[in-house]
Amino acid sequence: MKEMEKGRETYENVRIPEELQQKVSQAVESSRMKRERRRRLSRFLLRTAGTAALLAAALTVALNTSEVFAMEARKIPVVGGLVKIMTIRSYERSEREMQVKVEVPGVDLGETDNGLSEEVNEQIEKMTAQYEAEALQRADEYKEAFLATGGTEEEWIEHDIRVRVWYEIKSQTEEILSFAVKGTESWTSAYAQTRYYNLDLKTNTCLTLEDLLGEDYMTIADGQIREQIAERIQTGAVFLSSSEGGFAGIGEDVAFYINERGNPVIVFEKYAIAPGSAGEVEFEIERQ
Amino acid sequence: MKQDYFDKISQYILENQDKFYRLAYSNVENPQDAMDVVQNAICKALGHAGELRDIRALKTWFYRILMNESINFLRKNRRELLVEEFADEETYVCMQEYDQTENLNERLKVLPVEVQNIIRLRFYEELSLQEIAEVTGRNLNTVKAKLYRGLKTLRVDLEGLEL
Repeated sequence: MKEMEKGRETYENVRIPEELQQKVSQAVESSRMKRERRRRLSRFLLRTAGTAALLAAALTVALNTSEVFAMEARKIPVVGGLVKIMTIRSYERSEREMQVKVEVPGVDLGETDNGLSEEVNEQIEKMTAQYEAEALQRADEYKEAFLATGGTEEEWIEHDIRVRVWYEIKSQTEEILSFAVKGTESWTSAYAQTRYYNLDLKTNTCLTLEDLLGEDYMTIADGQIREQIAERIQTGAVFLSSSEGGFAGIGEDVAFYINERGNPVIVFEKYAIAPGSAGEVEFEIERQ
Repeated sequence: MKQDYFDKISQYILENQDKFYRLAYSNVENPQDAMDVVQNAICKALGHAGELRDIRALKTWFYRILMNESINFLRKNRRELLVEEFADEETYVCMQEYDQTENLNERLKVLPVEVQNIIRLRFYEELSLQEIAEVTGRNLNTVKAKLYRGLKTLRVDLEGLEL
């Protein structure tokens, strides 16, 4: 007993260095600052992500409104021929601390080309260049915010910012070529952008939903989408209610591609009709 | 962002820093190293403040982080006598060629660090055996066994000691 008490006394009499207090406070303070920075950054990102979703939606609408272009193209009747889609420009570069990887597609309509390929290609070129520039600008703004909230240059580099533009062929037959041009940024999905091209190779025109589903295309699509939403809710999917801005019928400029079965697939942007966690939401519409 | 116990943890650390230093110092035996261990433990604890679910577990949670930091330091820097190496009685016996009259704190050092800390937490910091079990992540009986065996090895006079 005596021995243990003595041991305890010696233990408690260990000299405490004068610097201890300062070091402890430093550790507490630097942890607090790190935490504050994390909080501010996540608040900042949440705020910008909200507006970003709106901007992205508006931009997609604008890009999808190619009525003029479609009508122009329709005027020129040409017999369809073999068409190719390929990467016409591909590059990777490092801009500031950011990796940019771009694969720009182009279509080649061969001898039967009536100028459609040129228009399509020009539009793709414009879209990809614009997306790349905007993505880099957004990354710059993000960096500024990151540094302003106490992040360091070294920590920024660790973020490994990448901007990618590429394309995906959805379906290709003798009559139809459907593909998507996509832009994504590694650090946020809020600005991800997709533009679909659905080309009728017989007439060398851009296909509309009306071409595929007929005059009543809106009613047909809306009905099938509502049915599918109800089915998916049964199996646990979550959709926004109408008061939350959920599905309220398709618009004229709704985005879609054509799948292997020749059916149009309507695509809703992330956040458009379901929580962000659902990502893009697709509905295949049966042709009657 | 969800609420955490960041402020409470900070306050607890500031109030008990001397205790943490002593425990770290008794393990690493050098003032600078001991302060580094304490600093690392603080950063680790506050960086993971969100992982402390129940504020009542604050003390054992922090001691656990502190002990892990000490042991990590020793593992990296020197000393082979760590957690499990001297588990059996015979090894203890071999280690008993030391001066029985020496101060208990010096004699403690023949024991594995974990057992040393169990003794310190029990008798110097007055943690209950249950709390020590939480700190070490071992079950209560293991802690008891380690404590008895350690005390026996050291030939500590157990009379009047509440284990």
